[in-house]
Amino acid sequence: MFFSNVWSTLEKYYPFFLEGVQNTLIIAVFTVLFGTILGVLMATARLSSFRPLKWLATAYIEFFRGTPLMVQLMFIFYGLPMIGVTFPDVPFIENFQRFAAGIVALSLNSCAYVAEVIRSGIQAVDIGQMEAARSLGFTKGQSMTMVILPQAIRNILPALGNEFVTVIKESSIVSVIGIADLMYRTNGVKAKNYRTLECLFIAAVIYFILTFVSGRLISWSERRLNRGRK
Amino acid sequence: MDGNNRETAAPEIRGGEHPETRELIQVERLTKKFDKLTVLDDISVSFREHEVVSVIGPSGGGKSTFLRCLNLLEKPTSGRILVDGVNICEKDADINRHRQKMGMVFQQFNLFNNMNVMRNMTAAPVKIKKMPREEAEARAEQLLRRVGLLEKASSYPSSLSGGQKQRIAIVRALMMDPEVMLFDEPTSALDPEMIGEVLDVMKALAGTGMTMIVVTHEMRFAQEVSTRTLFLDGGRVEEDKPSRELFSNPESPRLISFLNKVL
Repeated sequence: MFFSNVWSTLEKYYPFFLEGVQNTLIIAVFTVLFGTILGVLMATARLSSFRPLKWLATAYIEFFRGTPLMVQLMFIFYGLPMIGVTFPDVPFIENFQRFAAGIVALSLNSCAYVAEVIRSGIQAVDIGQMEAARSLGFTKGQSMTMVILPQAIRNILPALGNEFVTVIKESSIVSVIGIADLMYRTNGVKAKNYRTLECLFIAAVIYFILTFVSGRLISWSERRLNRGRK
Repeated sequence: MDGNNRETAAPEIRGGEHPETRELIQVERLTKKFDKLTVLDDISVSFREHEVVSVIGPSGGGKSTFLRCLNLLEKPTSGRILVDGVNICEKDADINRHRQKMGMVFQQFNLFNNMNVMRNMTAAPVKIKKMPREEAEARAEQLLRRVGLLEKASSYPSSLSGGQKQRIAIVRALMMDPEVMLFDEPTSALDPEMIGEVLDVMKALAGTGMTMIVVTHEMRFAQEVSTRTLFLDGGRVEEDKPSRELFSNPESPRLISFLNKVL
């Protein structure tokens, strides 16, 4: 009974779910892209020996990790326009304003977590490696790029992969500002056929497939990266 | 040669090969504090070219901190360190350039884990001194042969024993043609059966006339290889003499009780 209802729901509404998956992936990919780029910059600032910069970065990271993503999203989409800060509408991309707000909020949030992942990955490298490099006459920057980062990257990549999986799940929150992601489309179908349990079941399975597959892909690429290294 | 006439600056030089050598490093009133804790307390001492100086003393006496101050891995709280007459504690001193002239060997070896032995050795001369890679590799092979580890050239540090790592750490530092080599307890992290192979390399290095400053717990090395020994305790140089004299005729009560414990 239940599974035949699931099946008939899928049969009738699969284009909605597919569109939802597509938008969820678009948002996740852009979030991870911007989140990583910003996160690298933020981690650099956080590890900087220039105090004000370090302090600012620390405050940013603490704040974004210490407040709910929902509040951050609402703040950017509903709050900022109140003081005249809006995202432009782009005619040839539907709903660009909403997408932009969603991606910006998620990226700013993800950036804080990525920065912490990078910082702890770098600090996990034995301090003696840096001292040995400096004692040979390398500058701080050369020591970083030649000795520390190549070792840190192995600590960082697995955690960064987890972050991507987390973003796929967390991105479901953008449905509240009307972005047609998987969660939003699920709610839409639910409102049409009143099969709440079946629709949520479908959504859960699809989210699981997305996270499971990307998790496998990430560990596969890690293994490839480590190949040939002792 | 340099007209220096301090009484302490007349170390016994092995075999009398270097009767007159110039002063390479002068430490003047060096003090290092960590917060309120004074680790080095107003140390003045100098080192001449070709000297092999052992620094001994109880744990926490400031030996390692002293050595690390010499190439500014620790920043002195006050005082001056003159190398070739240039004060390296000045704000505008070129620390990186200074460090190239000072090889350092660590207790924990600190070979770069992401590079094989050859790259460990050639990275600095190629990148910093712009030495052609072929030349650097030829020189590395020569040094590896000298310490009997040529066959390890393409191994990664994780596959080497402690003694092998430390021998490579020593020749890695030599790749930069340093004027002086600093050793920070080079044998303390080694299994007993590997200490000998590292000390042999250090002895051979001393034989080439390299200036060496060695923080060590190996009293036999201090006694037999080094020309001069400093006894550091409580952040001060308690005794500073030619090694033979220091061990056969210790003066300060602290040194006497220290030697009683370790010998």
